[in-house]
Amino acid sequence: MSASTGAARPRRRKGFDRPRFLWALYVAVCLYLFVPILVVIVYSFNSGKSLQVFAGFSTRWYRAFWNDPQIKNSLVASFEVAAATMVVATILGTLLAFGLARARGRMGGSANILMLLPLITPEIVTAVGLLLLFGRVHTTLSLQTITLGHITFSISYVTVIVRARLALLNREVEEAAMDLGATELGALRLVTLPALYPAIAASALLVFVLSFDDFVTSVFVSGAGTSPLPVRIYSLLRVGVSPEINAVGTTMIAITLLIALATLPLLLWRRRSEPSAAPDAAITE
Amino acid sequence: MRRGLWSSFLVPPGLWLVALYLVPLGLIVAASFGTVDFLGRVIYSWPFAGWDLSNYHTVLSSAYLPAFFRSLAYATLATLLCLLVGYPVAYVIARYGGRLRHLLVVLLILPWFVDYLIRIYAWIVLLGDNGVVNGWLGDLGMKGDPPVQFLGTWWAVVGGLFYSYFPFMVLPIYAAVDRMDSALVEAGKDLYGTPWQTFRHVTFPATFQGVVAGVVLVFLPASGDFANAEFLGSPSTTMIGNVINGTFNQGGYVPLGGTLTVCFMIGIAAFMVFYLRSAARASREGGL
Repeated sequence: MSASTGAARPRRRKGFDRPRFLWALYVAVCLYLFVPILVVIVYSFNSGKSLQVFAGFSTRWYRAFWNDPQIKNSLVASFEVAAATMVVATILGTLLAFGLARARGRMGGSANILMLLPLITPEIVTAVGLLLLFGRVHTTLSLQTITLGHITFSISYVTVIVRARLALLNREVEEAAMDLGATELGALRLVTLPALYPAIAASALLVFVLSFDDFVTSVFVSGAGTSPLPVRIYSLLRVGVSPEINAVGTTMIAITLLIALATLPLLLWRRRSEPSAAPDAAITE
Repeated sequence: MRRGLWSSFLVPPGLWLVALYLVPLGLIVAASFGTVDFLGRVIYSWPFAGWDLSNYHTVLSSAYLPAFFRSLAYATLATLLCLLVGYPVAYVIARYGGRLRHLLVVLLILPWFVDYLIRIYAWIVLLGDNGVVNGWLGDLGMKGDPPVQFLGTWWAVVGGLFYSYFPFMVLPIYAAVDRMDSALVEAGKDLYGTPWQTFRHVTFPATFQGVVAGVVLVFLPASGDFANAEFLGSPSTTMIGNVINGTFNQGGYVPLGGTLTVCFMIGIAAFMVFYLRSAARASREGGL
């Protein structure tokens, strides 16, 4: 109704009503976000050592990186940690999502706070705490302690994503399944879980990326042995800029962007009949 | 039976978070009142067992205060910058993006998937003393070595923080504008509101929840950040994260690191409580 009246009355369109300058801002922001990353990628193929002269195309820095056993071990370690984190955090986070969405009473309330806290605690604080904990129980710092740390901060991301999807589901379908003779767990397995698969898969992939890219927790609780790739990059960066970092960085970009491109459609996926679930479920609450 | 089943789902993840999130927080507090033995191992001081406040005296009467202040200032500036840029961008996508709007917002999030340190490194490549831009400026005939010193400044650190956490501002605001009924804006205009009045009295209040979430989600990680200040700044831009990192990873006095962490937590506690309350209210009201 109001839209038709609006169309009938001629109106000067300006300011927030005329989005052309806002689109210009959008393009500018995109350039700002992407140009530095593109520069890293381009210079990873530079045949020279300088960052100021592009001497020609070459893959020498990739060969240097592949012939560096330390970096290759770090890459493998990062994959192992991320895979283990993904499996455990997805299971625990999904359990927590079901518990929070369906359990009533005081326990649910405090569990909800306990779930939200890690999301907003600056990572340096949780990392300091984990370092003290592992020292207190005399655990040698290793890839295992890093994995424990990654699982701890990943659980909440899974929970928030899965719970948002769970809230959109029609509980009556599950009840119908039970009327047809399914047990409660049977209905969960046959009806509810399949409807949650996109959300569970998306959160699993997100956790993989969070773990794979994590630096703060990893640097605090890594030990003397092989360290994950971001910790390795940190020590390289402390020495100085080198084209080899461009090659390592570009490889990491390729891996995480591939995973991101698989994750985002899953997060946005919904049936036409469902209410809009914006892709921010992970963090906005 | 049903109630018991769902509650039992809370137990494994709940225990995990208690053991690896809550207990460590308690250890930080206990260490902050503690001391070390002759081997440098931490001696924790448990509550009511003779609290020793000397670490707190050291923190409050020392050279650490500027680092606290800088963390606060840089994180505030980065948050404001994110809001000033992020709000209009999120708004235009959500309201005018049409069928492409999810794709357009994904484009803004995509760089966040690039490893955090690589994103910081990218700015060194671009703006460092021997970086790409200084190379061009030199070719253009600008004098000096380097022609312009971009890095090592406080605004380089703020810019880095902005670059690191920008998506956390865009996403909640985008969601809030997307959820908002656009008929409200039409109504505001039908009542002869100017665009600014409509924005001030209709759009902004309707999307305020998103703004709050964005501000908290950018400010909290930015205030505890240390890699941006380490690689884009200089010793004169040290943030509290750098001091804490130095204490634990470069062989400092650990109990003091605990004290610094506790003081930092107290400094940001208001933000955390504010966010938790609004999030708890949202989940009670059956929103997300």
